[in-house]
Amino acid sequence: MPTPLLEVRDLTVAFDTPRGQIRPVQNVSLSVYPGQTLAVVGESGCGKSVTALSILRLIPSPPGRVLGGQVLFNGKDLLQLSEKQMQSVRGKDIAMIFQEPMTSLNPVFTVGEQIVEAVQLHQNVGTRQAYEIAEQAMQDVGIADPHKRIHEYPHRLSGGMRQRVMIAMALSCRPKLLIADEPTTALDVTIQAQILELLRKLQEEKQMAVMLITHDLGVVAENADAVAVMYASKVVEYAAVNDLFDSPKHPYTEGLFRAMPRLGRPGGRLQTIAGAVPNPRRFPSGCKFHPRCPRMNGDALCTQKEPELREIATRHWASCHHIENFAAAPITPPTSDAIRKDAEAPA
Amino acid sequence: MTEIGTITPLGHGELLATESASSSRSYFRQIVDSVLRRVGAILGAIWIGTLVLLAVFSPLIANSHPCLMEKDGHWSSPMLAHLSAGDVILQTLFWSGAVLYFIPKPRRQTRLILWICVSVLAIGIFPFIINPPTIVEYQIYREDQQAGKIEKVFYAPIPFSPDDHLFDQMEMRLTAPSRIHWMGTTSDSADLLSNMIYATRIALSIGFISTGIALIIGVIIGGLMGYYVGWIDLLGMRLVEIFDAIPTLLLLLCFVAIFTPNLYIMMAIIGATSWVGYAYFIRAEFLSLRQRDFVQAARAAGLPVRSILFRHMLPNGLTPLIVSASFGVASAILVESTLSFLGIGLVNEASWGNLLNQAVGEGGTFYWWIALYPGLAIFLTVFAYNLIGEALRDALDPKLQENK
Repeated sequence: MPTPLLEVRDLTVAFDTPRGQIRPVQNVSLSVYPGQTLAVVGESGCGKSVTALSILRLIPSPPGRVLGGQVLFNGKDLLQLSEKQMQSVRGKDIAMIFQEPMTSLNPVFTVGEQIVEAVQLHQNVGTRQAYEIAEQAMQDVGIADPHKRIHEYPHRLSGGMRQRVMIAMALSCRPKLLIADEPTTALDVTIQAQILELLRKLQEEKQMAVMLITHDLGVVAENADAVAVMYASKVVEYAAVNDLFDSPKHPYTEGLFRAMPRLGRPGGRLQTIAGAVPNPRRFPSGCKFHPRCPRMNGDALCTQKEPELREIATRHWASCHHIENFAAAPITPPTSDAIRKDAEAPA
Repeated sequence: MTEIGTITPLGHGELLATESASSSRSYFRQIVDSVLRRVGAILGAIWIGTLVLLAVFSPLIANSHPCLMEKDGHWSSPMLAHLSAGDVILQTLFWSGAVLYFIPKPRRQTRLILWICVSVLAIGIFPFIINPPTIVEYQIYREDQQAGKIEKVFYAPIPFSPDDHLFDQMEMRLTAPSRIHWMGTTSDSADLLSNMIYATRIALSIGFISTGIALIIGVIIGGLMGYYVGWIDLLGMRLVEIFDAIPTLLLLLCFVAIFTPNLYIMMAIIGATSWVGYAYFIRAEFLSLRQRDFVQAARAAGLPVRSILFRHMLPNGLTPLIVSASFGVASAILVESTLSFLGIGLVNEASWGNLLNQAVGEGGTFYWWIALYPGLAIFLTVFAYNLIGEALRDALDPKLQENK
C-alpha cells in the first residue's frame, strides 16, 4: 500500500455559539492516496464541508476551532503550520473548488486577472507568462476561445463556464490534491456530467488526488475510488467504492441506497430513512443514528454506547453494534454496476 | 458520455457573436456613465472642472507681472520668470495628464503609472531648479509704464496678483467692485477676484487630500475590524466611538492650538478628524463581504491577507465610500472655511474662508462684496459636490435602478 497523500486523524472541530458549543466534526479520520479520489458523502449538515474547510484551515475562527486531531499532508501536520506557511500550501499543494460557481468569482476583476493572480502567487513567472499559463488552463478545462474569454468579467459567463474557470484557477498551479466541495450541486444535470467528466480527465492527466464532497451517490459510483460516509459529525462507514456498493455495512448507508431512485424500475414510492437529521446541538445519546435505525429494537447498547469505527472486512470500516447480527439479513443494495448505469443514463 | 467533455463549437460560436456586440464595460465605467446622465451632476462636474482649470492656470489668469513686455528694445516675460515651482509642477501634471489621457496607445494602467512617474519626478526636481525672485515689487511695472519706460506691455486678463497690495494706489483699499477691480478689493488692498482664483487651489486640494487621508485611515481601521472581527473589532469600535463622541470642531481647535496651521497640517487635521464615518461604512461592508464565496475562494487559493483585503474585498465594498467621500470633500471645504473664518486657519494664503473673515472690518463695517463672492464660491462648490454625490448614490443604489 502506498503512503497516503493526505491523512486526517481524529479531527474534531468545535464552534462556540452563544447557545453553547457544537461539534460538527468529531473524530473524523480519512486518507487520500496519490492519484485517487476519495468521496465524502452524507446529508446536509453532517460535517462534510467543515471537514474539508478545516483541512485547509479555512473555518471562520472565531467561532470555529479545531479541538484535536492531525491533518497530515505528505507527512507534515497542517494544523501546526503558521498562517504564512499555510498560505503557501493553499492553492499550491491543495486547491479547492466550491459549490457556488455563480458567486465564487470576484465580480470586479476579469477571469484572467483572477487566474493570473493565483498563478503569480505560487509560481515565479512574469505577467505575460502567467497569462499564457492561464490561457492554457482555460483551454484545458474546455473553454472555447480562451484568448477572448480571459478578458471577460464573470457576469458574462454561465454557471458551467464559471465552474470551469474555478477549476482552471484551481488547477493552474498543479496542486497535488484538489478538494471539490459539491462542485456540481448548483449546476444542471448536463453541465454536472460535463464538469465531472472534465475533473476525471484532468485528474488522470495531472496525476492529482481528489477529495470529492457530494451527496449524490451516482457521482460517487462514477468517480470515486474510496468512499467515506458521514452521519452527524462522524464517519460511519469507510470502504473502497465497490465494497461499499456491493455490501454496505452500516444501516445508514443501506438506507441511502434504498432511497435512491433508479431508472427502469418505475412505480412505487421511494423508501426513505425515517426521522430527520439530528440537530448538532442535541445529538442523540449512544449511537447517533439510533432514533432512525431500522436495526434498533430497544437495545440499551445502541442508546448508551457510541459504536467505534471497526474494520469489518479487509479495508472496510463501519461503526455499528449490530453488523454481525444483520450480516445475513436480506438486503438488496444496488450493485455498483447498476448505479453506474443510472449515472450514465441522463447523459 | 463520450461527447460530454467537449463543448459543441456551434453553441459557443453563437454565444460569442451575440455577446461581442455590446462591448464589455467595467463596473466603474457604467457608474460614471450613469452619473453623467443627470443634469445636476453635469452642472456640478462643470463647476468643479472650471475650478480645476482656474486652479491650474491661475498665474496665467491673474498676475501683476506682465505676460509680455518690451522694455528698452528687448522683449521679456516677467510672468514666466516669476512662476513658482508649485505653478510649474501643476502645469506639468495637468499637461502630461491631458496628453496621456488622450493618446490611445499603451494600456490604461501603463499610462497611469507613466503619469505618476512624471508627477513624482516633477515634484522631486522642480523645487530645486526653479527659484523665482523672492522679493517682488508689483508696482514697478505700473510705475515704469506711467513713466513711459516700457514700450509695449501685455497683461493677463486680471492684471493683479493676490498678494499685490497696490502700494502705489493706497486709495484703492476696500473699494467696491468697479471696472478695474471686478470684485472689489480687500482690507489689505489686494484684488478680491485674483484672491478668489488663487483660493481655488486650496479649496480643491484641501477637499481632496484631507478626504483622501480620512479615507485611508477609515479604510484601514474599518477594514481590519470587518475582516478580523473578534477582539480587534471590539477594540476598534471603541476607538471609533471615542472619536465619534468628541465634537469635531473642538477636536480641530485642539489640534490647531498644538500645531501652527499651515496648509499640510490643516489637511492632516481635517483628515484625522473625519475618518469615523468611513470606518463605519467599510466595517459594515467587510462584515458581509467576508462571508461571500469569492472571498472564501481567494483564501483557499492561498492569497495573502493584504491581497484579500485590498484587492478582493475593498473594490466590492467601495461603493458606499465613494458616495460619502464626495460629501466628505464638500464638508472638508466647509471645515477649512470655518476655521479660516474663525481666524485660526491658514495665514498668508488666499482661501475663501480667510477672505470671508475680512468681510467685517474694524468698527463693524460690513463690506458686502467680500462676504458675497467668497460665500457664493463656497456655497456653489459644496453644492456641486453634493449634486455629484447624490448622482453617485443613485447610480450605485440597485433598488433605485430596478425602478427605472
